[in-house]
Amino acid sequence: MAADADIFESRDKLGQPLAVSLALHALLFAAAVVGPSILGKNTGEDWGGATSGGGAMSATLVSSIPLPSRPDATNVLANESKGLSESQPKPEVKEPDAIPIPDRDVKAKPTPKAATPTAQKPVPQREVAEADNRVPFGQGGPVSGPYGSFHAGGAKGGFGFTGGGGDFGSRYAWYVDQVRRKVSENWLKYEVDPTVSAARRVYIYFEIDRSGSPRNIRVEQSSGVPSLDQSATRALQRIDTFGPLPNDYYGSNVSVEFWFDYRR
Amino acid sequence: MIKRFAFAALLLVCTAAPLAAQDWIRTGTGLGVEKIRIAVPDFKAASADAQSPALVKTFNDVLWNDLEQAGIFEMVSKSFYPLGQFGGPADIRNDAWGNPPPSASMVAFGNLGVNAGYVVVQGWLFDVKNPQSPQVLAKQYRETASDENARAIAHRFANEIIFRLGGGIQGITETKIFFVRTTAGGKEVWEMDYDGANQHPVTKLGSISLSPRISPDGNRLAFSSYYQGGPNIHVWSMELNRLLNFPKFGGTNLSPAWSSDGTKLAFSSSRGGDPEIYTVDANGTNLKRVTAYRGPDVSPVWNPKTNAQIAFVSGRTGLPQIHTMESDGTNLQRLTNEGYAVSPSWSPNGQFLAFAWIRHYGPGAPGAQDIYIMDVASRQWVQLTHSGGRNDFPSWSPDGRHIVFQSNRSGSDQIWTMLADGSQQRQLTNSGVNTQPNWSAR
Repeated sequence: MAADADIFESRDKLGQPLAVSLALHALLFAAAVVGPSILGKNTGEDWGGATSGGGAMSATLVSSIPLPSRPDATNVLANESKGLSESQPKPEVKEPDAIPIPDRDVKAKPTPKAATPTAQKPVPQREVAEADNRVPFGQGGPVSGPYGSFHAGGAKGGFGFTGGGGDFGSRYAWYVDQVRRKVSENWLKYEVDPTVSAARRVYIYFEIDRSGSPRNIRVEQSSGVPSLDQSATRALQRIDTFGPLPNDYYGSNVSVEFWFDYRR
Repeated sequence: MIKRFAFAALLLVCTAAPLAAQDWIRTGTGLGVEKIRIAVPDFKAASADAQSPALVKTFNDVLWNDLEQAGIFEMVSKSFYPLGQFGGPADIRNDAWGNPPPSASMVAFGNLGVNAGYVVVQGWLFDVKNPQSPQVLAKQYRETASDENARAIAHRFANEIIFRLGGGIQGITETKIFFVRTTAGGKEVWEMDYDGANQHPVTKLGSISLSPRISPDGNRLAFSSYYQGGPNIHVWSMELNRLLNFPKFGGTNLSPAWSSDGTKLAFSSSRGGDPEIYTVDANGTNLKRVTAYRGPDVSPVWNPKTNAQIAFVSGRTGLPQIHTMESDGTNLQRLTNEGYAVSPSWSPNGQFLAFAWIRHYGPGAPGAQDIYIMDVASRQWVQLTHSGGRNDFPSWSPDGRHIVFQSNRSGSDQIWTMLADGSQQRQLTNSGVNTQPNWSAR
C-alpha cells in the first residue's frame, strides 16, 4: 500500500532533465543554422567548377567535332571582348624618386642614363648569334625552323616545319596555324594510360602532301609510354586532311615534326 | 553525457548539410584551341550604279552571316574597325588591324561593282599577323546582276575562306535543307538554303509526305507518302521535277535513308505484319529484310563512313531505344538504356550519333525531349539542347559542325540549327508548321 502510494505521490525533480533537454535543442538548432555555412562552404562552386564531375558534359567528346573548343567558360567577359581586355605591355614610366630640386643634382642625372645603353648593347648581339637554335622561354621546342605550340589541359604540343626551302612557316603562317589547331583538336588525352602522370616528350614525324593529307606518320622518338606514343600517332591518323597546300607553294610536300608533352 | 549528445547532434547536421547539386552546367573545357579572329569590313561599292547599294548590302549581310555561322571564327565587332572604306589591298594596314582594338588575325575585304548588267566582286583574305606575305586568298566573281547572285557570290566567297582556314573541310554555305511544311492540302516537302533563305516547295502531290531524305549526289529525294495509298516510299527526281518509278511493297513504309554512296536505301516496312528494317537498291530492286524480332524496328540510318552499319530505333525492349547493327543484321548493340530515344542521325565522319531523347520518361518525370549526341565507340553522350520544349529530328550538316533539328520552343514546330556543340541555336523558319528537316550532303 505504502509503496503504491509512494509511486503516485512522490514527485521527481523535473528541473535538471528539462534544462538538459532545452540545452540540447538549442544546440541542435544552432548547429542546423550555422553548420552548413561553415561546413558546406564551397557547395556553390560545384556548379560549373572545374573540379566537379559533371553529369552530362564530357569535354573530350566535343573536342573531336571539327569545331574549335570553346574557351574557358568560367571567364565569359574576358573572352568576349578580347580586343579590349588583352593586356598590352605597360609603357615603362620612370618614376621619379623624388621631386628634383632645381638647384641640386644637375650633374648627377646624366650618368645613369649613359650607363644603361652600354649595359644593354651586348644583349641583342648575343641573341642574333643564337637565333638558329634558341629555345623560347618556358616551351622548349623542336630543333629546327619556324614552329608553333599548343596547350591541351595540362599537356603541351609543338612542331616544326622542315620542308619547303625553310621558309614555309613564315610564308604560310596561316597554314601552320591550321595544322596546330587541327592536331590539338584531334589529340584525345583520355587515350593515354590513366596511371601515367607525366612522361617524356614524344616526337612524331609526318609529311603533308599537296592534297593536304598526312602520310608517313611515325614515332621519331618514343616517350617510353606506349599509350602516349599511340595517342599521338592516332591524333594524326584521325586527320583526313589539313586542307590542300597553298596554291603558290611549289614543293610536293612538307615535312613536319610534332612533339607532345603529357602531364596529367 | 550532454557533450556526447551534442556531438551526435552535430554529426547529424554535418552529414545532412553538404548535399551539393550535380547538374549539367559544367561546360568550359579550355583545351586551348581558340577560334580565328576574323574582321570583315563592309565591301566597298565600286560603281555608282543604281542597283549597287542594294546588292552591296545583301552581299555584306550574307558574307558576315556565313562566316559567323561557320563555327570556326570569332567575328571581330565592327565597332573596333579602323575608320574608312577598304576596297583593295592598298587600303589595308596590317598593324591597324592586327593590333588592339581589332587584334584580328584575318581580314576579309573587297569591293562590289555593277557594270553593264553584271555584278563583279573582288575579294581578298589577308593574314595581318604576317606582314611579309599577308595574302591568303584573292578571288574575282562575275554574274548577272541580281539579288540572288549577290547572295550566291557571298556564299561562294565565304566557302573559300572556310575551306582554307577550316582545315580543308568544305563549308556548308551552298548546301540546302529539305523539310516538311504543313499546307492546306496536307504536308509537302519544301527546300531552303542552309540559312533559311529562299524557301520554296519541291513536291505538289496534295497528300501527306513525310521524312524527306536527299540523295548524296543531290539528284533524288526519297520520302514516305500517302500519295496513291500507302504510305509508300517514293523517289522524286530533282532534275525532272517529278516522281520516279519505285515499287510499292505493301504495308506501312516509313523513313527511307540513303547509304552515303547513293546505291542503297534502308527503310522500315510492316509488309510482314511487324515494322522491320529492310534494305533495297536505289532503283527499288533487291529487297532484303534485315531485322526479325518481335516489336517495332524503325528509323534506320547508315554509317556514312563505312556503309557497313545501320543505326535504328527498336521497341523490342519496351520503350523505343537506339540500336546499331551491321547492315546484314548481325552484331546488334543497344546504345541507350533508359527513357525514350528516337530519330538517330549519323555524323559524316561516322563517329557520332545524334538523336532525340526523353531521358526520364513516364508519369511524374519532367518529360523534356532534347537533342543528344553520342560517341558510338565509347558510348559517352552530350546533351545539346536544354529544356526548350520538344526537340526532335536532328540531321547533321556535311561538314560535321552543324545540326539542324525541329523544335516547338517558339510555340509551334519550326526548323532550327545549331553548332554540334549545342551553341549558336537559330530559328530558320517562322511561318506555318515546319518539321522533319534533312541536310543535303553537298
